[in-house]
Amino acid sequence: MTLNSDILAPPGTRVPLMGNEAIARGLIEADARVVVGYPGTPSSEVIMALQPVSRQLGIYAEWAVNERVALEIALGASIAGVRSIATMKAPGLNVASDPLLSSAYCGIDRGLVVLVADDPGPHTTQTEQDSRWYAKLAKLPMISPSNPQEAKDFTKVAFDISEELGIPVILRTTTRVNHTVSDVVLGEVRRIQQDVKIVKNEVRFVRAGMAWNLERHKWLNSRLRLAEEVSTKYSLNSSSGRGEICVLTEGVAHEYVSEVLEELRLEDRVKVIKLGLLYPAPRKFLLENLAECKTILVVEELDPFLEEQVKAILHEENVHVRVYGKLTGHLPLEGELNKNQVRNAIECIIRGLTPPLTTRSEHTLSPQDTPPRPPPLCPGCPHRFSFIALKIALSIRGYKLSEVPVFGDIGCYALAVYPPISMLWTEHSMGASISMAIGAKIAGYTKPVIAVIGDSTFYHAGIQPLIEAINKNIDILVLILDNDVVAMTGHQSTPAWSLSESGRPLRPVSIESIVKSISPDFLATIDPYNLDEMISIISEIVDRPGVKVIIAKHPCALLERRARKVEKKFYVDASVCRGCKACITATGCPAIVMEGNLARIILEDCNGCGLCTRFCPYRAIKLLQGDST
Amino acid sequence: MRKIVNILIASVGGQGGLTLSWVIARASVLDGFSVKTAETLGMSQRYGSVMSYVRLGDSVKSPLFEPGEADYILGLELVETLRRIHYASGSCVVIVADEYRPSYTQSIKYPALKTSDLVEKIKSLWGRTLIISARKLAERAGSVRALNMVILGVFNAVSNLLSRESIERAIREVLPEHAVSASLRAYELGFEYAQQAR
Ligand code: SF4
Ligand code: SF4
Repeated sequence: MTLNSDILAPPGTRVPLMGNEAIARGLIEADARVVVGYPGTPSSEVIMALQPVSRQLGIYAEWAVNERVALEIALGASIAGVRSIATMKAPGLNVASDPLLSSAYCGIDRGLVVLVADDPGPHTTQTEQDSRWYAKLAKLPMISPSNPQEAKDFTKVAFDISEELGIPVILRTTTRVNHTVSDVVLGEVRRIQQDVKIVKNEVRFVRAGMAWNLERHKWLNSRLRLAEEVSTKYSLNSSSGRGEICVLTEGVAHEYVSEVLEELRLEDRVKVIKLGLLYPAPRKFLLENLAECKTILVVEELDPFLEEQVKAILHEENVHVRVYGKLTGHLPLEGELNKNQVRNAIECIIRGLTPPLTTRSEHTLSPQDTPPRPPPLCPGCPHRFSFIALKIALSIRGYKLSEVPVFGDIGCYALAVYPPISMLWTEHSMGASISMAIGAKIAGYTKPVIAVIGDSTFYHAGIQPLIEAINKNIDILVLILDNDVVAMTGHQSTPAWSLSESGRPLRPVSIESIVKSISPDFLATIDPYNLDEMISIISEIVDRPGVKVIIAKHPCALLERRARKVEKKFYVDASVCRGCKACITATGCPAIVMEGNLARIILEDCNGCGLCTRFCPYRAIKLLQGDST
Repeated sequence: MRKIVNILIASVGGQGGLTLSWVIARASVLDGFSVKTAETLGMSQRYGSVMSYVRLGDSVKSPLFEPGEADYILGLELVETLRRIHYASGSCVVIVADEYRPSYTQSIKYPALKTSDLVEKIKSLWGRTLIISARKLAERAGSVRALNMVILGVFNAVSNLLSRESIERAIREVLPEHAVSASLRAYELGFEYAQQAR
């Protein structure tokens, strides 16, 4: 990502920032000193935006090996006296949930914020997890912005509230805030005296089985009870309009609500209550503002989180008001909200109808006109070689592809699920490839079982499962696809790098030495571009007993292309091509397309890997001579 | 209140649809508009369907708009434009590059289409469509990758929404240094092309 230098612009300037860049600016304004996370869409750009300037600003902005390590680093920094934040996508908070719950008991010294980015849709995440439940589970305050401006402002507030309450604060965003570019007015950059010191305090910091944990729990509850009062001065919650019908909303859903009311000219008949403090729900504020309301519609992304809270509050206070939302079918329980759904729900309430109103039918064309375009592996992607080698090796050994399960993991290589490669059976959670393969073997599966995991995912959560496999003597083949980068989330560094994006010198940790040190039965590092070698080694070892590990090492094609210009290009000789499509059905390389009855290679897209040439029965694909680009 | 202008950008991942949305957003802010963008893109860095939204006006709240609400559809590829044509509002202008990128599914499952068929299809569905030989113009500007900036040039000539200075500055600030000169040139060529076509 190129630096958006506007994150350093002077206070009062109005600049275009992506939500994540706005959070980065918020961190600068709040004088946060330690910013650490693990890449995950849609959260990654916070750290990416800071890294080009972090060293000059005296901020530690780096990737950690996984989210729990990130959160523990941030916690350690906070109790050592500096403002810290850990950033992650929703499933990352599952990984970090262990330290999250304990951090609530020990509390903080300088502000500690946990940024979690949810993904209604889901666009790029395995589940539509609603991370708001973590606030309830961990008993921590949670605040949530509606747009990039608030993303910046609330980031600052999160640190203040964290310090006033003495506990971590969760800053929760969704894709439409993280990735939206909007005009943002910048604020003052504060400098806060932050003295580095750690005070020994066993009652705060020693957990397991200690008698004082009960006291700490009481302490935590007492802090949480102050959350509404403490946050009042930051105006996180607001209300507008008036009327007996009231819409209670939060996050980006608020933006849909206000536009719909404007379009329906209902601003004067409907009251809108917007919450920035989502947990604990601000009881006093709600009761004051709901006093006149006869009907409440709750509009929120994902689960009926506020809906349940507001119902509980009204019940406890003996207030009788109808509450509508997801639980009454006015809004869907799955998927991302949109303006049409919000408009329908509001119209149902206004006109006293029962949902659902029929949605406007979308104009659709036949799939013949607009065939789906599932994302493929890039041209020249080394993963394509690894999967094709695996496919060929298995058939050489007489196995049917339908009898050798390939347990996959999270990364670009999961795109191998799509045809024509179709070599991925599972993609579950970080590191699960190896563990699930172990389970299949323990269950008694007799045919070979394969696990495929990327380099970054291996560092993140693959090492422990590999220890398990070796320790229990499991017969599996593990392919570690090492392309030297966290590719899918935008090319972040891995622990194998010697210099971080911020310019910090790193000591590379090699996957090969990690694996070697736990002694699998077989270990080889191969460049998958050597397809024949890959095929022969896989076919040789696939059904040997024990843990076999192959590190398929070749840089991500996009990185390689950026690092040095593509040296080779291939083209289809139209006078030789017979249009059999073998080049496409074998590789699925998106640089090859059918035009009329013949194949054509889109020159600017070809990365010159040469893979397709192996599959053309007529040798129609040839190396382009002379200058290419 | 001035109306909000809704722009939808349809592209294939890697063509620079997102970059185009950022340039428009940045130029809009420089010209004093309130702006919001959003995008739908899948998990891969490239070659999937990408749809970006840009909204500008006096006060823009929602980053998304609905089918039937686009004032402009900017297409960097024909099939992707066809896929999003139902976003057009009554007065929508569709500006699309005559660029055809068959997907894998297309190549394998369906008979190959011709660029001219796709152009006809779009025109039959939407009368106010401008088909631009964007690849040719981008090549003339120095890089086929600047196709998105050709479309930007046509868009700004047609809509007259943004100042030339702001667009230039936005291009310099959003694009990597090595791509700036071809992008500026491509913008100019697109702009001139649209003016001559009038
Ligand atoms: S050589 Fe063939 S397979 Fe490799 S990138 Fe070029 S077109 Fe694709
Ligand atoms: S495999 Fe060879 S002959 Fe068949 S379509 Fe591809 S280039 Fe043409």
